[in-house]
Amino acid sequence: MTAKKSVLAALGLLIAALALVATGCGGDDDGGGEVTALPSSSCTGLEYEGEGDPDYLIATDFPMQGSSRTQTEQIVAAVRFELEQRGWKAGDYNIALQVCDDATAQAAKWDSAKCSQNGNAYAANDAVVGVIGTFNSGCAAIIIPLLNEAPDGGIAMMSPANTYPCLTVNLPGGCDASEPAKYYPTGNRNYARVAPADDYQGAFVAEFMQKQGIKSVYILNDKEAYGLGIATTTRKAAEHVGIEVAGFEAWDPKASSYEALMRKIQGTNADAVFLGGLIDENGAQVIKDKVAVLGPNDGDVKLLAPDGFTTQATIDEAGGAARGMFMSVAGVPIDAFTGTAAEYVQQLQEGPLAGKPIDPYAIYGAQSAQIVLDAIAASDGSREDIIAKMFETEVENGLLGDFGFNENGDPTNASGAVVGFTMYVATDKLETSDNFSPKPENVTAAGA
Amino acid sequence: MATATAALHRIRGSSLIDAIGLLILGLVVIWVVVKFAQDPTRFLNVTVLGARNGAIYGLVALGYTLVYGILQLINFAHGDVFALSGLVASTMIISVFGLDTTTGVLLIVIGLVGTLAVTIPLFAVVNATIERIAYKPLRNAPRLAPLITAVGVSFIVQNISLALYGVDFESVPNFIPRTDAVEIGGVGIGWNTIAVFLIVIPVLLVLTWFVRSTRQGKAMRAVAQDREASAMMGIDVNRTISVTFVIAGGLAAVAGLVYLLQFNIRYDTGFQLGLIAFTAAVLGGIGNLTGAVLGALMIGMVEAWNEGLDGTPGGDWTRSMIFGILIATLVFRPQGILGERTPEGA
Amino acid sequence: MSEALSRQVQRARTDKSWWVAGALIALGLAYPFIVDPLRDLPLIGDFVPGVSSMVVMMIFTTMALGLNVVVGYAGLLDLGYVAFYAAGAYVAGWLASLHFEDITFHLGSAVSGDLPGIHFNMWLVLVLAGCFTTLVGIVIGLPTLRLRGDYLAIVTLGFGEIVPQFVRNADSVGGFDLTGGTFGIAPIDSLAIGGVVFRQESNKDDLYYWAAIGLVLFTVFCCIRLRDSRLGRAWVAIREDETAAAAMGVPLMRTKTWSYAIGAFFGGVAGAFFASYRAGAFPADFFFQFSVFLLCMVILGGMGSIWGVLAGALILSYLDREGLSTIGSKIQEGGLDFDPTKYQFGIYGLIIVVMMLLRPTGLIPERRHKIELEEGVHDTPFYDVQTEGAMTDRDRSDD
Repeated sequence: MTAKKSVLAALGLLIAALALVATGCGGDDDGGGEVTALPSSSCTGLEYEGEGDPDYLIATDFPMQGSSRTQTEQIVAAVRFELEQRGWKAGDYNIALQVCDDATAQAAKWDSAKCSQNGNAYAANDAVVGVIGTFNSGCAAIIIPLLNEAPDGGIAMMSPANTYPCLTVNLPGGCDASEPAKYYPTGNRNYARVAPADDYQGAFVAEFMQKQGIKSVYILNDKEAYGLGIATTTRKAAEHVGIEVAGFEAWDPKASSYEALMRKIQGTNADAVFLGGLIDENGAQVIKDKVAVLGPNDGDVKLLAPDGFTTQATIDEAGGAARGMFMSVAGVPIDAFTGTAAEYVQQLQEGPLAGKPIDPYAIYGAQSAQIVLDAIAASDGSREDIIAKMFETEVENGLLGDFGFNENGDPTNASGAVVGFTMYVATDKLETSDNFSPKPENVTAAGA
Repeated sequence: MATATAALHRIRGSSLIDAIGLLILGLVVIWVVVKFAQDPTRFLNVTVLGARNGAIYGLVALGYTLVYGILQLINFAHGDVFALSGLVASTMIISVFGLDTTTGVLLIVIGLVGTLAVTIPLFAVVNATIERIAYKPLRNAPRLAPLITAVGVSFIVQNISLALYGVDFESVPNFIPRTDAVEIGGVGIGWNTIAVFLIVIPVLLVLTWFVRSTRQGKAMRAVAQDREASAMMGIDVNRTISVTFVIAGGLAAVAGLVYLLQFNIRYDTGFQLGLIAFTAAVLGGIGNLTGAVLGALMIGMVEAWNEGLDGTPGGDWTRSMIFGILIATLVFRPQGILGERTPEGA
Repeated sequence: MSEALSRQVQRARTDKSWWVAGALIALGLAYPFIVDPLRDLPLIGDFVPGVSSMVVMMIFTTMALGLNVVVGYAGLLDLGYVAFYAAGAYVAGWLASLHFEDITFHLGSAVSGDLPGIHFNMWLVLVLAGCFTTLVGIVIGLPTLRLRGDYLAIVTLGFGEIVPQFVRNADSVGGFDLTGGTFGIAPIDSLAIGGVVFRQESNKDDLYYWAAIGLVLFTVFCCIRLRDSRLGRAWVAIREDETAAAAMGVPLMRTKTWSYAIGAFFGGVAGAFFASYRAGAFPADFFFQFSVFLLCMVILGGMGSIWGVLAGALILSYLDREGLSTIGSKIQEGGLDFDPTKYQFGIYGLIIVVMMLLRPTGLIPERRHKIELEEGVHDTPFYDVQTEGAMTDRDRSDD
């Protein structure tokens, strides 16, 4: 009892003292209108180099740890570069930036707890008027509804990389009936993206497989929003172009070996395997076991993967086993960008990304930042109006070509990079293998 | 009277439980036979893979079962010591010995033996140190205290791996070819599979011989049976326990290298694999060396059947099935397949 | 024993510490109003947790108190407490979201009436989640509680692994989407009073915070009452000497099952509350480390000690939410490249080991527990190899 009492008393005294000091300091508060930084548990400090004090805050939300780090760091660098170019202003408003991380060090990939923690933090901060992110569709599915229900009409969110179709549109058969409505509890939209959804990529992969003469494909997925989404659209598009889908199942990222699974695939005589998922999900072991059981990737059984694998890390981690593997990505290769985008690439190479090979995602990041900043500039400063202006955006001759947004927040009337896709083949690095836009009827089939 | 009814109740209760257990077991056996009949080639191919993985789990399971046999302590940290040893082995192979696919066979053998020459003593010492620091002071504490401590130690070792190696997977090139060494009627047995068994079987035999026939092994069994009586007979109890941990640490180092030669490894590999191996040890009868390897082989095969055959729940249910086996074993036959009601050294 | 306890109760009733407790509660309730000036303080200002962190800290505290009933009171090691957290969160998902979109059923919910899915009043959902996890606790407990302590720990660990895997994989149970797979269930309805939906208010965190304070106070109240009840004394008796307790007529299985069930109840309520606060239940949140994190709170504070666990839980959950990252940023400002959040579980592991070795009774020991640990218990000691019924307590009579 005495121990309890003394501890309680000590706690009481401590808190009373704190409260006293608090009321004493309360008067020093230098007035409202000041931007409070987002919590340091996820975000780096407030960045602002403009004049005076910032009026508003935009946040980037990406996994800053793990295999996708090379890409996300470039996106963030491009966003920061864009703000610097504009003198940290959007129209009349001074804009500060915070870089938030939705990955944990232990998992080295995005983490659902971190995503919801971040989403809640944005929603609770009056100064946040725009979020650029996320990288992973699964994380977007968590953050979008939180921002949607934020006070004063929700917070605008713009993703340079999310490709899961059901975030914005209900593809019958591919999405739950409550998608995408469940991501927008208020009924109003607040989310748009510049990345073409996976019905495009699925169609692209299917057409590419057709070109390669593949007759039968076994599709694996990681069960996550992104992996399952791309696996489903690829399956539909493949069936549409006349490729048999020999099997469709999940791989467990925590398993130590996939050889038994590959034996099962061998039993179906599929001549290609497609991996819908991320390299971070034990992808390297999947690739190695594929080669061990089904032979090299340039042999009888091809190996294909979507943009979750399209990074140098795949080749480094899988070693020789990745050789000959095909990996797709939205957009054109960085050396095929033309006009504005080519100049921008030049600027990035001279500026913040000097000495690094520019990743196409940097351009997507810059385009996202431009749209959000333009929307803020054109708005009356309210969250609601910023969202409205974001949806009214018409990009002409922009970094990703010409496009606008439909009411779902997907790019529309697009031409240029925004609908193009590239297929890389792995050697000791990623080499461009093919580059085209999928046929509209296949895109429709992939989404149907 | 009350005791009599209770006794009756107990007998009826346990025979019901046994009946349910037997029924489940019977269904599994029938299912396996049917699957074999449907496609013998694939069934055997998948079984071989499962047996190989199981043998690797068995190496880890031996470490659990040794320590449990003598201390009745589930040494949670064993899995993480194993993972750390695998990571250290990857450094040895790649950075110190500089082996790659172009290295000649002789040099590879020298390199691998050299790696073991470093990791076995290193992790034997690490494991014995863990025992000295974390478990020894708790010998007379309530039973759960060392178990809780072991969980804490497991986290610490895991984070040491994290600090040293980060979150990325480490791997080494395929030194032992994964191509088939023997092929009979479409059923292939890879060189790597043979290599794994060439390591696991001798290790099991030597260990069994050690525990059964050497002076030290007899001391271990004596300590396992009755610590006070052994002390009275002049056995140095502390030393015997230390030796057990030394052997378990050495086994972890062997398992780490064998695992590394097949699979990717990273800082948290030890947790999952540790649980699998522990399940194997319980299934085989914890405290029983042969049982640990037998249980591990069975776990490996169940895993492979589930992933490689048609009409199964599929790979994402594998781990749930393994924990299901763990719980079922503890409920239906807590002494395991080979275990007797009293766990002893061997 | 009962004499000592009743004396203790009597003393507690008249004790002035209740005034201190009252003042603490009042200060706790006022926290949202003083947090801003506190955060402006020099030096310590950066270390003051925000209200949103405080909400989560309260939720974790509730869970730790629930775990304390199992580990601290009854002396059963539960390494899979996260299973109850998951169960509670998913009950909230089933009963208060759009998940079952084919059914439209509303019961006192604050969401608009034409929204598909099952929508119970969120407060009711908290209770139902607690009841459901209690059932889960009983179902898990009945076949396993007969096992010896360390085996029981492993079985609970097994369940703690199976439940998250089940919710991850049960997106197609015979073609029926039960749990939403890796997507989890989101959004889950907000708490609401009258027409005030917490999540749509600009002081959402404050509202949730006050509700969470209520949750913790309720849990603490229950824990005190339980500790002093007949059941609570039976738990202590079992913890100290199972055989003697059984000989004195304490029904072992029933008493153990109750501890499991009641511990589970709080886990479920807290899980549902958390799911509502963060608007979702996701399978990736439920991992073994979290169970150990909660266990670490109990051990740090002192097994069986309500005030100790309260303190342990607040300290560790503060570290988890903000403390470690704040300390980390200070370290990094100091020029050292070290990120303590990366090693948080290693730090918890270290705390466990250090506490077990140096101060197994915890920061604020519970009196009886301290005596047990200092004077030894009549429980079968760790080193003693059992000769019969070594693996189970099956032989021990239940009635």
